[in-house]
Amino acid sequence: MRRVLRTSAAWRLSIWTTLAFALGTGLAFSIVYFLVARGIQERSDAWLRGEARVLAQVSADTPRDRLYRRVVTEVVELATREVPDERNEQGQSLNAVFFLEQDPNNSDGPLWVGPADEGPFLSAIQQAKPVAGAPQPIKVDSWPTTFQVVALYENGRTIYLGLSNRGAQHLLGKLTRRFLMVWGGTVLMGFLISYLSARRTLFRVERITETVARIGTEDLCERLPAQAKSDEISRLSETFNRMLDRIQSSVNQLRCVTDAVAHDLKSPITSIRGTLESALCNEPKEMWCDSIGEAIEGLDRLLHVLNTTLDVAEAQAGALRMDRSTVDLSDVVRKLVDLYQPAMAERHHEVLVDLENHAAVDADPGLLNRVVSNLLENELTHLPAGHRIAIRLHSYNGSTKLVIEDDGPGFPPDVSNRAFERFVKGKHSPGHGLGLAFVGAVVHAHGGAVSISDRPTGGAVITVSLPTSILQPA
Amino acid sequence: MRLLVVEDDLAIQGFLRRALVEAGYQLDTASDAKTAELKALEGSHDAFIIDLGLPDMDGLDLIARCRAQGSSTPVLILSARRSVDERVRGLEQGGDDYLTKPFALAELLARLRNLLRRSSAPQNDSVRLQAADLQLDLVRHEARRGDQLLQLTPQEFSLLEYLCRNTGRVVTRTMILDHVWRMRIDTATNIVDVHIYRLRNKVDLKTSEPLIHTIRGVGYVLKHA
Repeated sequence: MRRVLRTSAAWRLSIWTTLAFALGTGLAFSIVYFLVARGIQERSDAWLRGEARVLAQVSADTPRDRLYRRVVTEVVELATREVPDERNEQGQSLNAVFFLEQDPNNSDGPLWVGPADEGPFLSAIQQAKPVAGAPQPIKVDSWPTTFQVVALYENGRTIYLGLSNRGAQHLLGKLTRRFLMVWGGTVLMGFLISYLSARRTLFRVERITETVARIGTEDLCERLPAQAKSDEISRLSETFNRMLDRIQSSVNQLRCVTDAVAHDLKSPITSIRGTLESALCNEPKEMWCDSIGEAIEGLDRLLHVLNTTLDVAEAQAGALRMDRSTVDLSDVVRKLVDLYQPAMAERHHEVLVDLENHAAVDADPGLLNRVVSNLLENELTHLPAGHRIAIRLHSYNGSTKLVIEDDGPGFPPDVSNRAFERFVKGKHSPGHGLGLAFVGAVVHAHGGAVSISDRPTGGAVITVSLPTSILQPA
Repeated sequence: MRLLVVEDDLAIQGFLRRALVEAGYQLDTASDAKTAELKALEGSHDAFIIDLGLPDMDGLDLIARCRAQGSSTPVLILSARRSVDERVRGLEQGGDDYLTKPFALAELLARLRNLLRRSSAPQNDSVRLQAADLQLDLVRHEARRGDQLLQLTPQEFSLLEYLCRNTGRVVTRTMILDHVWRMRIDTATNIVDVHIYRLRNKVDLKTSEPLIHTIRGVGYVLKHA
């Protein structure tokens, strides 16, 4: 259990938030406590000073006669009533006040008004010798709290007025006790709330972890359940699901590719093997030449499929080695059209060329050659004899577009939206479905785009657009 | 001409031996870099043919060691890797050459010839080529069969020139695309064949001996009986 708690993020998270919360509220309370204590102190000091001055005046104005002591005592008692009468739970007054007048000329001795036992007070004052006019705390024996005492010296007499700090301390003590009770409760509740909500949230993460672990080891078709709330965690599981979709489609694609490669390799291998075997068994040695030639041609086709497959895979994985320079695409197209023209003519195709001069693009010249040759090869392989092929090249708005259009039967419907994937080809197509995949991958690697469509009047249109270079070809 | 073939695959070594001896070369072979280095240092070879994937050392390191010991023998590199890495490109600029597996024997022989020619005598820059009664004037861009001037397009002339320069030697379609059109493209269609067919119609007249021959599965050769 302890180990589980230690490794749980919910536990750690709530410990830290609680600690921060407790420290913060504690600090806030200390500030309030300090301000309140100072306020009380200032008020009692102000009262002491004012009252001491009044009493000194009274004592000075009252004639020294028989009634003197009574008059002063009454005035003092009157004044002490101004202090709110606070009592503790045992009914003991908390605002003990005393008054002491020491007059060496008065033969009756010091005048004392206050708690009955004046001895400890007198000796404490004797010891402390308070400075005139400034209230200061004095400890009196047998009293639990200090007294704030102010002294006034006038005409040889000394007046002391003292007020017990007990009331203030009691108030502050009560404040602290209440705070600690509330504080403890709040901190505990805060801890519980943050722990529970963190655990609730992280429990969802834990569930995702479990599901993903299961998907990782068992079934790639499984998905994380949709989350009710739309928050970070639901986004996490959506992202996971999207990733799983991609992985699954890659795996499926890989399976298709493997099947297609196996098929595309197996049939030529079978035919090569058959050719050679039948030559060896049935033909006289002088006739072997043809069979061997046929076998080599078969091997070359095999190699072509293999190389193109790997090229497309490499291009789609973004691992193409590109050596870019500024190339005039119109030159490339013109040269390749010249190369393909006789073969096109052989198939009775008419090739119309409309090329804008100086269509500069930043590209790998070798790859660009292969892109354009693949497009022409595509026409040569798939277009039934006797059609018209229009090749147009123009730059507009920072983009160079090469459009190859024919008036043939167009793309088969099952191919048209996936023509640039590997091994996608029409049912009766003689190719391997690699040419356009290669074109798509390479053009994308160059930051361009390829699209295919059907002409309204029939026929296929392939558009390759590449970003126009800002430089002139070298 | 004496060659050193360094190749660990004995099947490939065997067919290279047969083909190269057939082509008139003398041959030493080695199956690993250590043996190859010892043999190379005897210093009596005109060219090395080195496979990159040797069991005990990378072929490029072997070449570097030979160069470090002062050997300047040209090297033809054989590589099973499809994309040619930068270091091999570097060697190519230094006068050596590379070929990726699988390769046509005709191309291997052509590259070897190039390599040996580069390292010894300067290229024979004649302005006239002749094969049987076919004559090419490279300055005036004119081709004649006997007395008859052939009407060739510039492209057809370049193609004929390339075949003529290799009279008696087979050239593959890839080599033709590379040398005549200066393009390394991989085609599964008959584009080269159609060019050859057109050229043949102009060069091999009905009345004369045919010069351009098809070697099925390999390529074409210009030769006369």
